Amino acid sequence: MTSGDKRALLSLVAGFTVWSAAFVLLYALQALGCAYGWSQHRLVLCLAFVVASLPLVWLAFWQSPADDEPASSLSVIALWANRAALGATVLVFLGPIAAVSPCL
Amino acid sequence: MSQTPSPIRLHKQLDAIWQTPSGWGRLSSVNHTVLGKRFMLVALVFFAIGGLLSMLIRAQLATPDSAFLGPELYNQIFTMHGTVMMFLFAIPMFEGCAVYMLPKLLGARDMAFPRLTAYGFWCYLFGGTILIVAMLLGAAPNGGWFMYTPLSSRPYTPGINADVWLLGITFVEISAVTAAVEIFVTILRMRAPGMSLPRMPLFAWYMLVTAGMMIFGFPPLILGSILLELERAFDLPFFDPNRGGDPLLWQHLFWLFGHPEVYIIFLPAAGALSTIIPVFAQRPMLGYRAIIAAIVAMGFLSFGLWVHHMFTVGIPHMALAFFSAASALVAVPTAVQIFAWIGTLASGRPRWDIPMLYVAGFFVVFVIGGLTGVMLAMVPFNTQAHDSYFVVAHLHYVLVGGFVFPMLAAIYYWLPHISGRQSLYRLSVPAFWLILIGFNLTFFLMHLTGLMGMPRRISTYPSNWGWDWLNLLSSIGGFILTMGLALVLADMVLQFRLGRRYRRDPWQAGTLEWATATPPPTYNFAALPRIDTRADQLSPDRIGPRLAGGEGYLGFARNGEQETLAVDIATGEIDHVIILPRRSFLPLWTALATGSIFLALLFKLYWAAPLGALVTLALFLMWPRSLGQRRDVGPVDIGRGETAVLDAEAVGNVTVLANRTAVAMNGTLFASLLFGGLFLLIVAPNWTDIAPLDMPIWAGLSALLAAAAGAVLAWLARKRNGAGRPAGGFLAAAAIAQGVATGLVVPLMLAVPDPTGHARQAVIMAVLLYAILHCGLGALMAAHGVWRIGRGFVSARRQTELVLATLWAAYAAGATALALGLTLLLGSAGGGS
Ligand code: HEM
Ligand SMILES: [Cu+2]
Repeated sequence: MTSGDKRALLSLVAGFTVWSAAFVLLYALQALGCAYGWSQHRLVLCLAFVVASLPLVWLAFWQSPADDEPASSLSVIALWANRAALGATVLVFLGPIAAVSPCL
Repeated sequence: MSQTPSPIRLHKQLDAIWQTPSGWGRLSSVNHTVLGKRFMLVALVFFAIGGLLSMLIRAQLATPDSAFLGPELYNQIFTMHGTVMMFLFAIPMFEGCAVYMLPKLLGARDMAFPRLTAYGFWCYLFGGTILIVAMLLGAAPNGGWFMYTPLSSRPYTPGINADVWLLGITFVEISAVTAAVEIFVTILRMRAPGMSLPRMPLFAWYMLVTAGMMIFGFPPLILGSILLELERAFDLPFFDPNRGGDPLLWQHLFWLFGHPEVYIIFLPAAGALSTIIPVFAQRPMLGYRAIIAAIVAMGFLSFGLWVHHMFTVGIPHMALAFFSAASALVAVPTAVQIFAWIGTLASGRPRWDIPMLYVAGFFVVFVIGGLTGVMLAMVPFNTQAHDSYFVVAHLHYVLVGGFVFPMLAAIYYWLPHISGRQSLYRLSVPAFWLILIGFNLTFFLMHLTGLMGMPRRISTYPSNWGWDWLNLLSSIGGFILTMGLALVLADMVLQFRLGRRYRRDPWQAGTLEWATATPPPTYNFAALPRIDTRADQLSPDRIGPRLAGGEGYLGFARNGEQETLAVDIATGEIDHVIILPRRSFLPLWTALATGSIFLALLFKLYWAAPLGALVTLALFLMWPRSLGQRRDVGPVDIGRGETAVLDAEAVGNVTVLANRTAVAMNGTLFASLLFGGLFLLIVAPNWTDIAPLDMPIWAGLSALLAAAAGAVLAWLARKRNGAGRPAGGFLAAAAIAQGVATGLVVPLMLAVPDPTGHARQAVIMAVLLYAILHCGLGALMAAHGVWRIGRGFVSARRQTELVLATLWAAYAAGATALALGLTLLLGSAGGGS
């Protein structure tokens, strides 16, 4: 398998893998903050959100350079999937983190 | 070899190699066509059993104050209904479909691990039988199919009912887990040459995502079942809040599996729809790429919303908001697919035929289920409707709409492939209308009974609450539905007996499975094709006869071996020749031995379980005996003037990929266990008034060192072997180091005080046990490698054993490190008061 193909295949799942990791991270930080009564709980969560979004923003605009047929076709699909992952990150996490009480 | 014999002679030669003998020899079959059919047949039998149980449920609920079944029996029956439908019908049904279909669809001669398919089938059959026999003996599980603790813990379910569920289902899950690995590897590596990933038919994409989800979705359930069984058998308090456990841990583990599970059931069905719809719309599927992106999204999103089954257990608002938003969002990729299907039909020239009726039924039913699903994803509404019949209505609209209707469409579409005959039409149309009307009558009304306050899982209700006539109509609907399904069954039987024979490809489909003869020959294709366009737009009736004549790759019988091709994952270029293992009784014996472990545990003969495990292990060690090469062969002829090496000499062969996949799955199980420990530490009650543990640090450190040394030695052995130098010594040293690691964990375990006293000790025991097991497994892999080296199966080019030994040694070292880390963390918890 050429490296371009491998990259296309990996980037197909990259965005949502980051999304999953962000989910685990935020859910864990939310639980830890409540368990140990962090005073800057919401701030920590907001920072984590920003950190998790950065790779997604990058993935959403970066297309793996491939010119042969299978890889290029896959990388278009990957781009869509990664943009969807960015959208999912904003839609699922931003509202709750910004507006909902963390521990009640 | 290059001058092709006549198609008939070629058929005879290949069939002699691939066929399954008759009589008792049938039990030795490892052929995917045979096993796929068996899987589907047994699943249909379980569907009938589950349907019978639902009839009993509806008979009981038809009238108020009914004394037909009584509460105790009723509990067993609805639990078994849910369990049978989910675990013994839905999952095995699509496994069977995948096993039968995938090699044909992809242009291969079998699945990657035929004997594993057979082993999975036997485990499924035996495990399912245990559950049904228990039910006939009146000892079926009775706590609902999600087995919530503490209801299913020993104090509240003292008999063996809950053990039957935990052990039986775990036994059945072996088939799900092996199928997941097989499907994953087969799709990635065993396609026809030239079928790159973006040329793959959508059905294969769906199955790939499904298999990926199973790899990460099933381990939490398996772990949960193991922990609950440990609690029930040995009183280890993982879920007991009085001793630092938490019933919510069970719910998390269960739904971490349970929600993805419904998508694991839906996605293959959607894959069938994406195959059938374009054929009848007579145009290519719209939005091929968008669909792939959508199912990848769906595969991930569906893991992020398991807590929507737990909205009412007292979870912080922010967490509720995460899971509610994710639940609503997952409707988007579903909608993408629905619009693609509708668009394909709208822009094509739809042709009417029986499968299309069920496709239409699917649209109606599934969309309603989706809408109520979004309603239930909203926390305020959920709080109202939780555990009411509204939920029962929703789940059946989704499951029956999203699985049963597509499956019926698929049966009408693919049964001609199995039978070699076409459908009769007289029964199928009335059957469809009975099913559609019966289904909606039964379940639409449950929305109303639910909104009127009827809780699920009650065995009876008083007559003055206004639920009477709705329930009666529901029951009548249920019986109409059953009549429809019975007609379908009759229709299927009649097709085999009276259906009209046809030439190839009755529906003018564009996928490869129709290029085989029907019923298909044992080896599928006499020669394998080269694909140079999208593989759902081929012309099977043109390709088929050419392949049957041996025109293509491997169009000959060589050395009596079962040969097929492996390709590169992404590009689909030819990589190597796979030599598949022949039929054998080993899978049957191994499954029987595995079953003896479960039976020993079920009947509390705890001394016998390790014996069963040893026998199973010994049998497994016999599997690879006949595989591999004792000398380097180099590239061999594969037809069409090309050559390729044999799998033993290929660097990344299917065995390596399968082991990597198994490690990922195993790692998920371990991660769930670590999550469990951390969850209890942070969330569970009764963790503050315990004293820190005093552990022998030296033992931990030296165990870690030994495990790490094992990994390094295995790696060195691999390097040496690759360089053509003898590697047996290093590998033997690796085995010894891992054996030592196993031994060094023991003092740690002995230092843990009474594991039944507190969940902390119980978790530490479980994690250390896991580390021991995996160091032992690593040692075994290394020792096996040494033995294979001794027998001449390994060379600088034949290095599979060394790759595997390194893989497992590294995994064991990593697991040991994490296990010791968690031990340290939990050991220092509490402050002592
Ligand atoms: C054939 C027609 C069917 C009928 C008449 C039917 C009827 C019912 C009823 C009345 C219940 C509620 C039991 C209760 O909570 O008290 C139920 C539960 C359930 N059904 Fe069905 N069902 C049918 C088909 C299916 C299918 C095809 C599946 C899955 C593929 C399925 C999966 C379930 C599950 C998972 C439960 C939940 C059991 C529990 O609460 O523990 N059912 N069914
Ligand atoms: Cu769910």
